[in-house]
Amino acid sequence: MERMAGVAEAGCGTKPVLVLSRSHRVQASLQLDFQRDGRTGRTVLASSHQEPPLRVVRAFALDDGAALVHLHNVSGGLLGGDRLGLKLNVGAEACAQITTAGATRIYRPREESPVTTQSNEVVIGENALLEYLPDPLIPFAGARYSQRTVIQLSPGAGLFWWEVLAPGREARGEIFEYASLEMKTDLVAIGRPIAIERVCLTPGKYSLSSRARLGSYRTWATFYICRVGLEARTWLELERNLRGTVEPFSAPGITLWGISTLTAHGLVVRGVARRGRDVLAGLHALWRAAKPQLYGRDAVPPRKVN
Amino acid sequence: MHSDARAEIFNHDLADLRLLHLADSALPIGGLAHSFGLESLVSQELLGVSDLREFLCGFLEEAGMVEAVFCREAFRLVRIGQGKLSADRWVELNDRLGALKPARESRVGSASLGKNFLTLAAALGDFEVLSEALEASKGAGSAVHHSLAWGLASGVLGFVEDRAVLAYLHQSVASLVSACQRLLPLGQSAATRILWNVKPAILEAANRSATCAVDDVCCFMPLLDCGAMEHPALQTRLFIS
Repeated sequence: MERMAGVAEAGCGTKPVLVLSRSHRVQASLQLDFQRDGRTGRTVLASSHQEPPLRVVRAFALDDGAALVHLHNVSGGLLGGDRLGLKLNVGAEACAQITTAGATRIYRPREESPVTTQSNEVVIGENALLEYLPDPLIPFAGARYSQRTVIQLSPGAGLFWWEVLAPGREARGEIFEYASLEMKTDLVAIGRPIAIERVCLTPGKYSLSSRARLGSYRTWATFYICRVGLEARTWLELERNLRGTVEPFSAPGITLWGISTLTAHGLVVRGVARRGRDVLAGLHALWRAAKPQLYGRDAVPPRKVN
Repeated sequence: MHSDARAEIFNHDLADLRLLHLADSALPIGGLAHSFGLESLVSQELLGVSDLREFLCGFLEEAGMVEAVFCREAFRLVRIGQGKLSADRWVELNDRLGALKPARESRVGSASLGKNFLTLAAALGDFEVLSEALEASKGAGSAVHHSLAWGLASGVLGFVEDRAVLAYLHQSVASLVSACQRLLPLGQSAATRILWNVKPAILEAANRSATCAVDDVCCFMPLLDCGAMEHPALQTRLFIS
């Protein structure tokens, strides 16, 4: 699949359009800055910088004062060689909820295309909260993808961040046919790493169905739940509580969950499942259970535009 | 034979003997008390005797690689510092490795073995760097992970880097096989055969680790992660992790 090189002006007063090219690749970034309005106490999308194909249409006000945005990729997915960047800043005391308009598809690239890359840089200010609840990542057959995420948490900062990796287009029977997928994630709280994830999957070389990896499961999910400054015993208690929450969503051979405290300031949840929808149900249940315990208010599922 | 040559052979042989000693599963650091999630996998029937060899090879490709890379990095700390410890880097490496371990019990297990190992090694002679490392970790409120402790001690004791990494990986896998003997219907002969047969995978992991940076080393073992995370919830447990 082939397309755009970048952005060109379509004319005075009109919005930028994407230009198609066989020789260039998209390099684009989306920067979102959320701030708490001191007068109303509500979070607003104070500024944004958007380069196609990455878009947000607007921020929706949630009942609890948070701002919700939907991330769109107007090209429908990630194409070979795309270099995309997402920068999120959630200012002090602000609360932002971010989701995607649909699953992120990573298309089969041309043979000569470089690896598709996505860079995510996230800064969460003092006592701010970010809920990042995207749809799954679906790597198509032959896809090559590299993702780098760095999340900086300030004192009192909170985070609900999940990511779900599908095995491919399951309905087509396309399972683990992507070429390579790399996901590097760093969670840093007040300058110290609390979670580092380094995943490099090359199904053609190292079998993902090995008992050392996914076994008979196909979908993989990770969910980070953090709030900087809470004591270790609070996290141990939450770990125990969430274990009970997720129990109805666990079934041998169907779905498996694991929950553990991080080195400090949070928890990590691992989920594996035969079918993607089983993972999403469990993630939502965990989020609905954890948020009231950490923030004393309900988790409000994002309204979807599709 | 010239006396210098004799001394060199003696020192080389002495280093080999010391390496064998430290890699012995009977070393009193608590290694036999941990299954690092295997107990849960066996309990959930996700791991059986017939899967063991494949599992251990996968383990070496993933977690084994991570530990080998960090082991080498600690080994090189001594050389880079020309015999002096960079305490900041030592603490940073331990923090990084801890953050790479998602399951609390496995993380704590690694830290327990590491601290016990380094304490024991430091007491075997006048090894100032090892004592400094223990102090630095304590002062920073940081853990001492097993592979890093092993690498650092190996550097201080003058072992050959590649041999030290191989010995570390070998004793790690031997410890897991030993745990499986207590968890599965796995006899001594079968266990010996499995450990014998995974040696090429140990070599492969050690070789790959020689050129991999600590920021690039990857690990994808979600089943074992889930098992290790859920180990605290097991009704009956033979192991601490």
